[in-house]
Amino acid sequence: MGEPHPKLQATDLSRTFGRGPGAVDALGPLDLTVTPGEFVCIVGPSGCGKSTLLRIASGLLRPSTGELAIRTTSPRPAAMIFQDYGIYDWKTVLANVRFGLDIQRLPRREANARARDWLARLGLADFASAYPATLSGGMRQRVAIARALAVEPEILLMDEPFAALDAQLRMILQDELLELTQTTRTTTLFITHSLEEAIVLGDRVLVMSARPGRFIAERRPPFPRPRSGEVRSAPEFTALKSELWQLLRPEAVPA
Amino acid sequence: MNTAVRKECTDSTAVLVRRPGPRELHPERTHRRRRALELSLALAVPLVLVLLWQLAAAQAWIDDRVYPAPTTILADGWDRAAAGDLWPDVWATLKRVLAGYAIGTASGYALGLLMGSLSLVRAALEPLLDALYVVPKLALLPIFLNMFGLGEGPQVALVAATVFFFVWISTMSAVMSIPAGYRDAGQVFGASSWQMFRHVLLPASLPAVLVGARIAAGVAVLVIVASEQIAAANGLGHLIFDSRALFQNDVMFVGIVCVAVLGVVFSELVRILGRLLTPWAPRDRGRGQS
Repeated sequence: MGEPHPKLQATDLSRTFGRGPGAVDALGPLDLTVTPGEFVCIVGPSGCGKSTLLRIASGLLRPSTGELAIRTTSPRPAAMIFQDYGIYDWKTVLANVRFGLDIQRLPRREANARARDWLARLGLADFASAYPATLSGGMRQRVAIARALAVEPEILLMDEPFAALDAQLRMILQDELLELTQTTRTTTLFITHSLEEAIVLGDRVLVMSARPGRFIAERRPPFPRPRSGEVRSAPEFTALKSELWQLLRPEAVPA
Repeated sequence: MNTAVRKECTDSTAVLVRRPGPRELHPERTHRRRRALELSLALAVPLVLVLLWQLAAAQAWIDDRVYPAPTTILADGWDRAAAGDLWPDVWATLKRVLAGYAIGTASGYALGLLMGSLSLVRAALEPLLDALYVVPKLALLPIFLNMFGLGEGPQVALVAATVFFFVWISTMSAVMSIPAGYRDAGQVFGASSWQMFRHVLLPASLPAVLVGARIAAGVAVLVIVASEQIAAANGLGHLIFDSRALFQNDVMFVGIVCVAVLGVVFSELVRILGRLLTPWAPRDRGRGQS
């Protein structure tokens, strides 16, 4: 890439859980460089430390060794979208989307305007005053996406955001996310189990090994931006998918 | 906890760095220090309060005839224990608590289970039990006195009635909140009522039931002391009240300390028993870890 300033750079990063003989090496050591505006997808077998990497990037967890540097002027540059939504049942859809802005103490009027704007972009305008419990899974995840993007984060961290959705809904939300991120150009780390998802969305797909997770391969889906969900039917898509599966399969087989 | 460290770079754009903290760099040491700190805090806080009390008594800031110094209480307790004056009262109280607790737990669990699984039984008994639940159990003591006469009967009945409600209500709600998937799986395999109870309902409800049982253990001690003050010729409650009437305040405090120790030991035992019975349940982090 030759970019002089990476947005995010991990060097010799690793994480161990527990102490003494029961300690488990969950991640790395690994190196990672993400350029500004890049959409990086990480695929790997269950328990390989993908989420741990994301939690370190978000500041929820510290690394055991090494460091992860984010080039930013903001103290909280990242927004995270969780697999189980992490949206609050006791707040309306609008209040959920406004949450990050409320935390930043934005004036209510401005926060409402921005939150409504994001609701509209995600097709949730009619549900602003509904409570999340009354929404379907897909809509709940849209709320989570709107909440994350409403703070206009420099880095978007997504931890298997669509894993709990059915296959059709998942494709629809992938397409929506593609559209959104191609306009915002937000640097994104996206974790998934689905190779298809990674190829559709990513500028780059990184394959992780079994625990402790390291990167064992890197591929760039050969589809120019802006792209759409139609790349799914391209022959290169299928070829890349089976190539990635060949790489991932030995890692995913339980030892 | 702030996990971010900032540093300025030569090219004037700031960089946010996530790097290991003390917990990651020295996990053993940090953990050891943390444990030591927790343990010393747990010991130091009561110790400081007792020392303060001792100081206040020694300096005559408080009237040591009304609030005897901790050393006086300790010495007095030691003498009474050595002379064998204390044990009959402790034993009397313990006997009543254990008997009442056993009866109350067993009946509360049985009825809670029944009401949790059969909605008709629930419909029949819930309003009645709800109404009885709010009656202060001590107010029932006169009735128990009439029913059982003087002696152990009313005391045991009172403890049993108190414990019953705690265990009943936690069992019933625990059984009712067992996820339908657990029952469904058992049903599809064709489990009989007994098998369903043995393999699904009992283990699924046990953690919540044990929480109720532990709370009940403390309340059982509380109630027995109150009722012994009203209607008993021995026991710790009687000792406390009697010695106050005789203006033996040091003996009164010996009784109070005994009650406190009894309560802690009893509810701790129930907790340990609960942990042995439910190895799968998340640890109840009441006091420290592990």
